[in-house]
Amino acid sequence: MRFGALLGALCLWLGPAAAALAQSYPAATEPPHTTDVSRLRALAVEREVHERFARGLKAEASSDWAAAIPEFERIIALDPPEPKGSTARYDLAIARARSGDYGAARLLLEAALERDPGFRAAAANLVTVDVLAGDLAAARTAADRFTELAPASARARYERGIIALRAGDLSTARDDFRALISGDPAYAVAHYDLAIVEIRSERFDTAETELESALAIDPTYARARFALGTVYVRIGRRTEARAAFDRAARDASDITLRSVALDLRDRL
Amino acid sequence: MRRLRIRWTVLLTLLGVIAAAGGVAVSAEEALDSFGHGELQPSSFADLLGPITEGGRTGWDCAPERAARAAAARAAELPADSR
Repeated sequence: MRFGALLGALCLWLGPAAAALAQSYPAATEPPHTTDVSRLRALAVEREVHERFARGLKAEASSDWAAAIPEFERIIALDPPEPKGSTARYDLAIARARSGDYGAARLLLEAALERDPGFRAAAANLVTVDVLAGDLAAARTAADRFTELAPASARARYERGIIALRAGDLSTARDDFRALISGDPAYAVAHYDLAIVEIRSERFDTAETELESALAIDPTYARARFALGTVYVRIGRRTEARAAFDRAARDASDITLRSVALDLRDRL
Repeated sequence: MRRLRIRWTVLLTLLGVIAAAGGVAVSAEEALDSFGHGELQPSSFADLLGPITEGGRTGWDCAPERAARAAAARAAELPADSR
């Protein structure tokens, strides 16, 4: 009985408070305690930038790139101070890249980095945009820039290592994957990629060690198991190669990898 | 005469076995050269880092900046293509 009375009093007290909360707005901008026209205009711009960021990010969250693009374009036209100007360019670059306009995305990320040379996420996305555009030479230049900006960054080392490996620059790839492993020895993918460098350099003993490390971290790493099978073939350990291809075929979710592994197993 | 014939038979059989083994070995090597390297490609590239909010870079404390500068791979939004 006493509890019921207490609950009723609480509801009476909370009712008006909840109604007041429902009618309030988030304090996005300071109330304009001024009659100065230029100050009022600046506050209006600030508020518009805030609202357009919210709308643009909401559109990007639902992959609605066409809706996001005009919001960020308007922010750029309003020319807000840093870091908002470079952030708007970065966000617009994502929408442009996701729409397939890699040239525009690249220019926007370059402009973001010009405004803020320490913007590492922009440097990272510039590498990815060049990769998506299929321009590996530009991607390498961007990756060198990113690595220079953030030498301890795992992402910088990984991206440049993969680009260098695909371009046949085994020395740079080896250095980057070794740096990546020293920063995070539990990252199996780095061991695998270092092993690919060593296989291409015909250093099969080192490749075997790296692949064993990758498989110790993730025993179901089918691509690493397959690579280990090829190393065994190269060094004449055919029984182990056969077992490796058999296990790779069982673990692989990639149909091509599975069929190639089965084919090689049956040839041994 | 008969003993000599047996010796020759054993020798030719051995040569045949060695030749067959060599043939299998060459075919496995050839298979690797023909399509094995296609499966020894490097891992995939990393995807784009995500958007940043209006105030996200104040103090550089936003997820994409943290991923871009992380020294540990698991915090850097890198691929985990292990299959």
